[in-house]
Amino acid sequence: MLNPLRSEQEAFRFLLYVFVVAAVVVGIVLAVRALT
Amino acid sequence: MEAASHAEHHHGPPLANVSSRVEAQFLGMLLFIISEVMLFGAFFTAYFFIRVVADSGWFPVNDVDLPRAIAGVNTAILISSSFTMHWALEGARNENRNALRVGLLTTALLGLTFLTIQINEYVHLGFAPHDHAQGTIFYGLTGLHGAHVFVGLTLLTFATVRAFRGHFTAKEHRGVEVPGIYWHFVDVMWIVVYSTVYIL
Repeated sequence: MLNPLRSEQEAFRFLLYVFVVAAVVVGIVLAVRALT
Repeated sequence: MEAASHAEHHHGPPLANVSSRVEAQFLGMLLFIISEVMLFGAFFTAYFFIRVVADSGWFPVNDVDLPRAIAGVNTAILISSSFTMHWALEGARNENRNALRVGLLTTALLGLTFLTIQINEYVHLGFAPHDHAQGTIFYGLTGLHGAHVFVGLTLLTFATVRAFRGHFTAKEHRGVEVPGIYWHFVDVMWIVVYSTVYIL
């Protein structure tokens, strides 16, 4: 399991995951706002 | 038998008992980051209270909007600094001293650029923390994060100076790894802050 506090490598990977998830969530919210 | 051997070779007070399987430096950073998440959580609670529960609205307030594009460039700068941090640590792992030094120095300079742009943003925003609730939580959240960038920069400065003095090897590089974990945490928090405060 990914533990961002165990090593820098895992923390870096966690950062990339957060970036992707944030981009997807923001994209969905903006798309929903534009359509409604 | 073991105790007798220990007494024979060790002088001074007995060694401290280490009960955790996690190294002390990592355990310290783990507990610190958990407390940090709770601190940011308190500020986000205030943010969502103003925006959702109280339904006070968000920017633009009094025709003053947030500089989303500039903050977006700043976000790119901070995320880039995580890549250079990762590069520096890979340098330490592979005994590549140039990558370690240049990586750490670049990370610190990118962090400093982020902080400088944020301070410049504050100067030109056009509202103060006491003007309205939105302004209070804006400065509160971004200022809290800025303070963390400053702490991260302090840690990075120590690591950079040590790297240029020849410290850190492929086996012993905790002095880079622990600040690296903290730096990535600061970046993760900024992604959340930027997404919620500036974009949504």
